[in-house]
Amino acid sequence: MKLSIERPATMCKALEEDLVLYYYGELDGSDTARIEHHVSDCAGCRHFLGDLQRLLPQMAIPQDLPQSFWDDYYRETVAKLASHREQRDGWRNLVAPMRMWLIPAFGTAAVAAVAFSMILGTPDLDFLRGQTQERIPHEIVIDSDQLEFFKTMDMLESLSALERLEARPITSQPQVSAT
Amino acid sequence: MCQRGEGQFFDILVQRYMEKAFRIALDFTRDSEEAKDLSQDAFLRAFSRLKQFDGRSSFYTWFYRLVVNLCLDHTRRKGKIVWERLESEQDNGREREELTDHMSRPDQEAIAGETKRRVDKTLEAMPNKQRTAFLLRNHQGLPISEVAKVMKTTEGTVRVYLHRAVAALRQCLVECI
Repeated sequence: MKLSIERPATMCKALEEDLVLYYYGELDGSDTARIEHHVSDCAGCRHFLGDLQRLLPQMAIPQDLPQSFWDDYYRETVAKLASHREQRDGWRNLVAPMRMWLIPAFGTAAVAAVAFSMILGTPDLDFLRGQTQERIPHEIVIDSDQLEFFKTMDMLESLSALERLEARPITSQPQVSAT
Repeated sequence: MCQRGEGQFFDILVQRYMEKAFRIALDFTRDSEEAKDLSQDAFLRAFSRLKQFDGRSSFYTWFYRLVVNLCLDHTRRKGKIVWERLESEQDNGREREELTDHMSRPDQEAIAGETKRRVDKTLEAMPNKQRTAFLLRNHQGLPISEVAKVMKTTEGTVRVYLHRAVAALRQCLVECI
């Protein structure tokens, strides 16, 4: 890279962006005219633009590569793409026949599961019910019978108490003596 | 697209874009082997993601974005290594300069070498977006409107990135004198 930068005396900082865009040809007509007019009068901005015109193209000089490089590059890339495509197609070929049977297989499995549960559903429930009853300890079942007995006894007792009340003679209210 | 047609289509794409893809990658990596690998990866990625190309932008804009993103990911991953490599290149450069003094080679050439290293270092230290905008506009010659599409941003933002990048590079070169 050839070095030939000159330090600009003073450049207009406010116009720096416009000068960069002017260099790249990215300003519209009126702005281009404005910058050209300014540069013709301003030595600092002229220096700045000169630097850009000298340096920036040198940074972008493409490296010359021989045709053999590009031939190899092309061959390698196409080979990589072909192997990538084969790999992808291999997977697709593997999955494609399965995909054809996937929906019918799932459908059949679902129907079979529903049918199985409908056939075997009721005995299962009975079995479960039986199991829960069996799980209750024997003593507790007896206790619950006794509870019923005691409840009945309580009721009989209260009935006899009522009868006793009814059988008792009605006595007059006691006189309260005046003191 | 039938398989044979798809293959032919990609062969044409490779022929048409291989040079651009390689040069973009080379601008970012400054290493021809890495650039080759990255640009070839970009073709493979384009091949497997072709369905994602919605046609709203032109194919090359979409493809350049793939290349640039791959390069940025790569430089992000290898950032430290790249710096180390640059440092060692600098050391080698110093040795070379010393040798050139003894061999009475033109001073200007040595200074130019130093300048190039400084430019490389400045580019490396630049924020990714500034560097991308600069490389795509200055090295690849894409207009700002296209750079904005590749970077998925506005033209105004690209102008700012470009200006900052050029200002930084110029500053580095002025300091070099």
